Amino acid sequence: MMNRDWNRRDFLKTAGAATLGALTAGYPRRVMADEDARIAPSADTVIVLWMAGGMAATETFDPKRYVAFSKGMPASDMLSTFPQIDTAVDNIKFSQGLERTASVMDRGTLIRSYTAGDLGFILHSRHQYQWHTGYAPPQTVAAPHLGAVIARTLGPKNPAVPAFIDIGQRFDVGESEEEKAFHTAGFLGGEFGPFLIANPADAVESVRPPEGMSPTRFQNREKFYKALVAKSPVGEFGSDYQKESLLRSMDNAHRLLSSPAAAAFDLSLEKKEIYQKYDTGRFGLGCLLARRLTEAGARFIEVTSEYIPFQYWDTHENGHTRAADLKKTVDGPIAQLVLDLEERGLLDRTLIVLASEFSRDALLEGKPDKPVKDQVEVPAKVDEMKFYGMHRHFTDAGSVLLLGGGIKRGHLHGLTAEERPCKTIKDRVVIEDLHATIYHALGISPRLSYEIERRPFYVTRDGVGKPIMELFA
Amino acid sequence: MKSKLAAIFAAGCSLALSSGAALTPEQINALPPPAKHRVDFGVEVKPIFEASCIRCHGRGRGRGGLRIDSRETLLKGGDSGPAAIPGKSAESHLIALVAGTDPDEVMPKKGKKLTAEEVGLLRAWIDQGVVWDPEIGFGPIPPKNLDPRLPEVPAAGIEINPVDRFVDVYFREHKVTPPAPVSDRIFARRAYLDTIGLVPTGQELQAFESSRKADKRRALVRDLLSRNAAYAQNWLTFWNDLLRNDYRGTGYIDGGREQITRWLYGALSSNMPYDQFVRELVDPGAASEGFIKGIVWRGTVNASQMPQMQAAQNISQVFLGLNLKCASCHDSFINDWQLSDAYGFANIFSDKPLEIYRCDAPTGQQAATKFLFPQLGEIAATTNKEERLDDLARVLTCPKDGRLTRTIVNRLWARFLGRGLIEPVDDMQQVAWDQDLLDWLAEDLTAHHYDLKHTMELIMTSRAYQLPAVDLGGAAGTNYVFAGPEVRRLSAEEFRDILSSLTGAGYTSADADIGIGEQAKKEFGAKKTAEWIWNDPRAAETAKAGDIYARKTVHLSAAPEEAVALVVCDNSFELFVNGHKAGSGDDSSRPYMIDMQHWLNRGNNVIAVHAVNAPGSPGTNNPAGLYVYARVRGRSGKKVMDFVTDASWVVTEREVAGWEQPRVSTTGWTPASVLGTGEIQPWGLGRDLIAIRFAKLHQGVVRASLVAADPLMTAMGRPNREQVVTTRSSEATTLEALELTNGRTLADALKQGAAIIVKEKVSAPDLVRSIYLGAVGREPTPEELKTAEGLLVKEPGPDGIEDFLWAMVMLPEFQLIY
Repeated sequence: MMNRDWNRRDFLKTAGAATLGALTAGYPRRVMADEDARIAPSADTVIVLWMAGGMAATETFDPKRYVAFSKGMPASDMLSTFPQIDTAVDNIKFSQGLERTASVMDRGTLIRSYTAGDLGFILHSRHQYQWHTGYAPPQTVAAPHLGAVIARTLGPKNPAVPAFIDIGQRFDVGESEEEKAFHTAGFLGGEFGPFLIANPADAVESVRPPEGMSPTRFQNREKFYKALVAKSPVGEFGSDYQKESLLRSMDNAHRLLSSPAAAAFDLSLEKKEIYQKYDTGRFGLGCLLARRLTEAGARFIEVTSEYIPFQYWDTHENGHTRAADLKKTVDGPIAQLVLDLEERGLLDRTLIVLASEFSRDALLEGKPDKPVKDQVEVPAKVDEMKFYGMHRHFTDAGSVLLLGGGIKRGHLHGLTAEERPCKTIKDRVVIEDLHATIYHALGISPRLSYEIERRPFYVTRDGVGKPIMELFA
Repeated sequence: MKSKLAAIFAAGCSLALSSGAALTPEQINALPPPAKHRVDFGVEVKPIFEASCIRCHGRGRGRGGLRIDSRETLLKGGDSGPAAIPGKSAESHLIALVAGTDPDEVMPKKGKKLTAEEVGLLRAWIDQGVVWDPEIGFGPIPPKNLDPRLPEVPAAGIEINPVDRFVDVYFREHKVTPPAPVSDRIFARRAYLDTIGLVPTGQELQAFESSRKADKRRALVRDLLSRNAAYAQNWLTFWNDLLRNDYRGTGYIDGGREQITRWLYGALSSNMPYDQFVRELVDPGAASEGFIKGIVWRGTVNASQMPQMQAAQNISQVFLGLNLKCASCHDSFINDWQLSDAYGFANIFSDKPLEIYRCDAPTGQQAATKFLFPQLGEIAATTNKEERLDDLARVLTCPKDGRLTRTIVNRLWARFLGRGLIEPVDDMQQVAWDQDLLDWLAEDLTAHHYDLKHTMELIMTSRAYQLPAVDLGGAAGTNYVFAGPEVRRLSAEEFRDILSSLTGAGYTSADADIGIGEQAKKEFGAKKTAEWIWNDPRAAETAKAGDIYARKTVHLSAAPEEAVALVVCDNSFELFVNGHKAGSGDDSSRPYMIDMQHWLNRGNNVIAVHAVNAPGSPGTNNPAGLYVYARVRGRSGKKVMDFVTDASWVVTEREVAGWEQPRVSTTGWTPASVLGTGEIQPWGLGRDLIAIRFAKLHQGVVRASLVAADPLMTAMGRPNREQVVTTRSSEATTLEALELTNGRTLADALKQGAAIIVKEKVSAPDLVRSIYLGAVGREPTPEELKTAEGLLVKEPGPDGIEDFLWAMVMLPEFQLIY
């Protein structure tokens, strides 16, 4: 808790980046929930591994009856296009291709009953918005991203590392405007927004001098700047709040850029054999970067497989082939991230959340009881490989993997039907409760709110989120 | 402690009094005993009502039929009969409910329950006869700042500006001794930024400072406000934020949203009277309808975000400083607006009456169509939407609407002085810190035919505006006392534009389509008529796929200083000038601008084009055409030597070796077939195409307001315009500082700027002086000069200049407006 007797100037001298913003902002005002003080956090850091585009649960973490491809097979036969495999936990099976992740299933909990919202005609960006903010778009105020809420509420763990780091999403591809709309701190203010790293391999560029500028020149420029500020005739302009906060923000930036923590962004410093274990592409290297940043003291990191319409997990055709390829890019890095954090003694205090905006099915679009307009033509008979796979958007049951951070180990939550419709039949989990669970792990009440335009804006929609207590160890 | 507001908000459901059965003696015994003293209504009862009852039973609301507006309505009671019986607290239904006699029927249902002491106070008050001070009531609160009011302007002291005559009275009352106004230099910087969004150049500043004219500050403000284009480009940012108009963003791509850029730019550059401005947005033509059409999000959206409701919310917020957002989902907890008010207003924009949704659930009910302030005038009860919009526009802008004018003058005040007469500026239900001044400014705007520039001049020439800036320490508390403008910070656009003007390097092409002015049309319009040509007169309809070669020999009577060809070709082309390839293009819908100046000479020149008609889809027409307009000028632009495609060109289908070379014979080539002028179908090139394209080429550095947001502007606080933004945060953030320190956008801009400056080969001291003058409006001090010279060698190179520029634009003195 902040000591109220601190004088502002002392604080400015000692405070870190985001806490400064939190103090000076005063707006939006934070409204504590009754139970805030009572929640003992079980995690300090969150890593979201985002399977962008709608990952089919039946092809990954919730395998059903396997039917191999045969020319002319009825489309209605397709439930899982991969055989199932054992995991480190007896009663949990995965789909083939996730062997390495299966081997660390005993470090966490699998939710199979995540149910996405009913937003009408299925659009990825709107479901992603809802997953990341907890609110269905549009909203009358700019809703903050989960990471921004956490950054605003808890501040950075290490003042030299941005509290909210987003890895892997480019904003000049596909539905970039829609992506931008939720990759934001919204009304919480820019201080809490994401530090964006589009390509993890180039992450170090975001924390070093501009391209083509040597470190010496960079330091000289800074020295020169400081000298000019010092020589600036203060008499006329005096010292004021605006000036102090401007100078402080420049100091913070420079501190980050010249801090030892900046080395965390530099993947070339990683041991070669470890680097190779992660090097399956952008997502894999994103996991490596997430691990390094966790070690350096990041608060919230999201690594995305990247959303580009009809790419990656957005499989409108060739679902089987593409899922097989995708699993190759995610399986090793996910497992390696878990093992590396464990080895460093960080897994216990780091909550890893693997999730997607919704699942997929070969035939059903939406939910069994609330079907929406189909977007993909599915022939009754599957004659070509490209029709073999999960191509429609299914919102009734998706998988979420939670690892570390005080979550039960080797636990399964939620049950889905074995035959189509593979809907949720037990322990339904909605976004409000999933967020409440993440917040709870961090010691944040789902009823915490920030006041904007004189109304409270709760961190879970209208404060209704309830943490799923049986998931905690 | 839990916030009361939060608890009430969460409640969100109606409280109703159920029919009250008489209490049993046991129940009566269990009631807290009445207080023993004489209860004071104002001191003891009123706070209980306000904390626990009024949200649902006051301010115009009557859940369960009960309204606690006055003694009469309380005694009358609600659906379950009288709430209180004077002298008989144990028999009063109100007491049973607040005491929680029936655990399923406790009032208030959610929120702060009454303590036993409080119940005892209410009992005593009822037993003592329900004494009610008639001065106190909980009925609807009349809207504030609605009726026009014209206070008398206080007598002139030293100050003659009416603003200062009000402010002087305020100062006396608040014991503020105003310091002397700021220097010319600081005044000029403020005035330039607030009008045209730039800072004065060194020369402009020196001229202003040395001027001895008595009224020079007023003259400067007038001059700046009259620079219509610069003014419009600056204020476009403010209005884009308010009207959430942008050049890219959610909705534009699939027709779910429409820009109003052209209309807005025209309205600003012509200083459209504010009442007309509002009318054209509320009851729009095609050019301005984007505002009330809102954003149509794909998929299913919350009922409170349907386009008609967006219109109601946005008009309320932008023009009336009124928050209707809460009330579009449920009766508001933050003000007195109710769900039926929001729907009544939204109905105006709807083709048929809307079904009311409460918290996104249908209620089966409809609201009566009405404007929020029916006292201003009627909206016709008609099914004709056009008529309703016409009525709304009239009512909203009638002289009786003092809310409209107060809201905008308050916004202007806030913009110029950093903080509104009412703050926050979107909550006009509050009292201003100088209510007389607000009232008068609003009426003065009406009296001056809603001329916003008039109000701007009035404020900017006041001494209040010219006082030294004060430090409010970020968030100012409730006990704000005006003592001068607040220190402000440059906006993203201002920062970028000043940097561009310091270096000459900036954005080169606009994303905003602001149309083209008459002057530009005259200057850049076509001097000759270009025609579509091909080798087949029916080619506009359909032509065979394949290549053609077209040539023309052009005689230039002077050496060309400017020679750019605008080429459109269906489907693709290569352009050769005297045998050299000057350019090519393969998008038939796009005019290409190709610079030919380098290869053209005085005398004869051969222009040759290889044009290709690509195969069309089977069974459809496949038109072909080539269109060239070359703007060629010599003798400092005075000599016009433009040439165009027309019948004087020759064409062939046969590719001869060296066909593009000057010396090749064109025997056997045939005269080109003319298909028609630019406008003909299927291409339909607009009449102003030539003027627009060439004007664009000549516009030089483009203002940041006309460009879509880039990472630098986003980091500096330019908002995503999906929500109305009336105040940008000026808070300096670390992420922003990171973008400024190593972001590519700024680094590139500095690099380009340095590349231009280095060519000028100025000495280090001269460079330092001119940048100081341009950036912060003053000469460097000897110490600053020495420090800067330490960085820059005698003949500064690009790296040194880049770093010097960077440090200058990072200075608080540069980024803050004092």
